[in-house]
Amino acid sequence: MGIIKKLPYYSEKVPGGSIVATQLEAVLNFAQAKSLWYLLFGTACCAIELMCTGASRYDFDRLGMIFRASPRQADLIIAAGTITKKMAPRLKRLYDQMAEPRYVLAMGGCTIKGGPFYYDSYSVEKGIDHIIPVDIYVPGCPPRPESLMEGCLHLQEKIKKQKLNNWQEK
Amino acid sequence: MTKDELKDYIDTHYQDKMKFLDTGRFDLMYEVTKENLLEVSKALRDDENLKFDFLCNLGGADTREHFEVIYSIASVTKRLRLDFKVVFPYDQAEIESVQEIWPAANWYERETWELFGIQIKNHGNLKLFLLPDDWDQGYPMRKDWDAPDFIRMPEL
Repeated sequence: MGIIKKLPYYSEKVPGGSIVATQLEAVLNFAQAKSLWYLLFGTACCAIELMCTGASRYDFDRLGMIFRASPRQADLIIAAGTITKKMAPRLKRLYDQMAEPRYVLAMGGCTIKGGPFYYDSYSVEKGIDHIIPVDIYVPGCPPRPESLMEGCLHLQEKIKKQKLNNWQEK
Repeated sequence: MTKDELKDYIDTHYQDKMKFLDTGRFDLMYEVTKENLLEVSKALRDDENLKFDFLCNLGGADTREHFEVIYSIASVTKRLRLDFKVVFPYDQAEIESVQEIWPAANWYERETWELFGIQIKNHGNLKLFLLPDDWDQGYPMRKDWDAPDFIRMPEL
């Protein structure tokens, strides 16, 4: 009965039987939150922190997060690094190629509001929310791996609150 | 050949075409007029004692008074480095391409053209290089450039 101990909020024991009663919504959300495969999309120094988070010291895999090189296989796009105006259409295209439901995590100051390139820059997009909808913002320049993991945990919490009837709309 | 010997050599052999500028930089800096550009470049490359066969860098500059195009060249066999620049006013923003001397100039000249609006004569491949393909907001590295979403650093 290990799974029941792990799912106290989602299940209840039925006396005398081995049947678990739960909500479909909760199970689906649980499964989805615990296997967020993210797209490899590092465009600047934030990617170094993303690599560090994925490596053995911080071990992103224990959150169920594995990198995918193809947007078709990814659930989450971690926009790690400066998005220039030339890169913006490519980011939009990658986002469009991902299958629903899809999530976006804006990592670092550049993707939030242009970061250090806010002033006097002709080439940097001032925030990727001009291009694609963002679920979680992780500030920092670049954010430490702890911040990124915290952001991902918040995203998992957000996913667990999804409702089945507006699944597509998040 | 040391740096001082190079300076002496150039002052002796190219004194009428290259003017030495005392910039205090590590590399020697010379000024070349626009008319002499191709001739001087070709001579520097083909000179048996110099053999400047490598174009390290080429870029524009806007000094608020005039435009400059700065060439950094090096000699791989003779182990020499040299910079020279061409200065011209705003209303004559046009310069000859040096591709026939150093083919590496192609991309640098495209960049200079799109960022500063300096026309490159006889280039043959003037297409947008670093800017987005649908760019229509002018030449962003000019000092007086402005755009609707361009946020200038406030005076502190």
